[in-house]
Amino acid sequence: MTLLEALEKFVSECNQNQRLREMNRDWTRRIQLEPEDTGDLHYLVSDAGLVSAGRGPVENPDMLIQAKEAILTAVFSGQMTPTEPYNAGELLVKGHQDDIMRLDILSLLIWGE
Amino acid sequence: MKTVVSVSLGSRTRDHEATLSLLGETVRLRRQGTDGDLDRAAALIRSLDGGVDAIGLGGIDRYLVVRGRRYEIQDAARLAESAKLTPVVDGSGLKDTWERSLIESLHREGAIAAGQRVLMVSSMDRFGMAEAFERLGYSLVAGDLIFASHIHYPIRTTAELEELAAKLLPSWVKLPFHQLYPVGEAQVADADPKFREYFDAADIIAGDFHYIRRYLPDALAGKVVITNTTTPEDVALLQARGVSLLVTTTPVVDGRSFGTNVIEAALVAVSGVLPGEPDWPEVVARAGLQGTKRWLSAHPQGEIS
Repeated sequence: MTLLEALEKFVSECNQNQRLREMNRDWTRRIQLEPEDTGDLHYLVSDAGLVSAGRGPVENPDMLIQAKEAILTAVFSGQMTPTEPYNAGELLVKGHQDDIMRLDILSLLIWGE
Repeated sequence: MKTVVSVSLGSRTRDHEATLSLLGETVRLRRQGTDGDLDRAAALIRSLDGGVDAIGLGGIDRYLVVRGRRYEIQDAARLAESAKLTPVVDGSGLKDTWERSLIESLHREGAIAAGQRVLMVSSMDRFGMAEAFERLGYSLVAGDLIFASHIHYPIRTTAELEELAAKLLPSWVKLPFHQLYPVGEAQVADADPKFREYFDAADIIAGDFHYIRRYLPDALAGKVVITNTTTPEDVALLQARGVSLLVTTTPVVDGRSFGTNVIEAALVAVSGVLPGEPDWPEVVARAGLQGTKRWLSAHPQGEIS
């Protein structure tokens, strides 16, 4: 699975989940994903809870997530929780703590138990 | 005389000492804050190990018990394991038993009534209380995502709370604790009333006092607050905001209600029984714990303790 495929899956899960749509109804953010090893930029955008993803840079990102592309792919496809690489120092997130927490919650609610 | 010490991740400005009588024994209680410093808390526990009868973990839960499933917070486990001789407890054994009973008791005596709207600022650490409210017919809003994560999503049933806990807690318990809960100076920061709408919509506000205090709105006229770890200054603050009835789940000693960890540690010290052991519910029942009700504004029933 490529990073883009993982992100598209993540986006689909977010947008189809009524609870996540409700949680994110007031959340508009631009998130830049920066694979350290490939430099192949990707992005996630939440527009009042409607999430989209793509390849390339995003203007004025609110959050920057850096890790090896395989880790980013694993996190956004649900094969790994964000906590594991974050605690190991293999996932660097720059942004507001609330946004970091929310992204963690989204992935856990999609891929958790 | 038994001695217990509560080693807290909270602010040192809330340190205090008192004595309490439990099961016919006098217990000296001491609370020592460490301003959110885990290393200092661990060092303090090591220094107390073997020299006191029980240690309470304050400002941090070791276990979150949700519908019988127990989640262990790793930072708290590391702290507890700093003691090799003295039992270390976190209050979760009391929250799951005694706080449930307290709500039933308040309901029976009419201090609160079915149909009232309850805001629990945090419920995953007080699932027994949330279950009691729901079972007795109260309209529940669990604010775990609102107050801990600043997501405007009220949780309205314990079933959803249980589902969310199962998805979130296995990962969250591994996070540094300060990401999950205000510690140290964050506990004494000025109140930010940004979640006022949830307070306004509730008749009863329950749960962790640090969350209540941190997001306290200007006006809480006529509302009931059910919490613990309040100081005389906290009581004055709630009175100034118009709170009608303050219920603290643990006894008030010298004007201060202690954390559940302190009372649990005192019970362990005098009984020798640990939470989770078969005799624990009997020890809690025999202790005859009393919450404390204080009418903070004029009420026909007057002062009740």
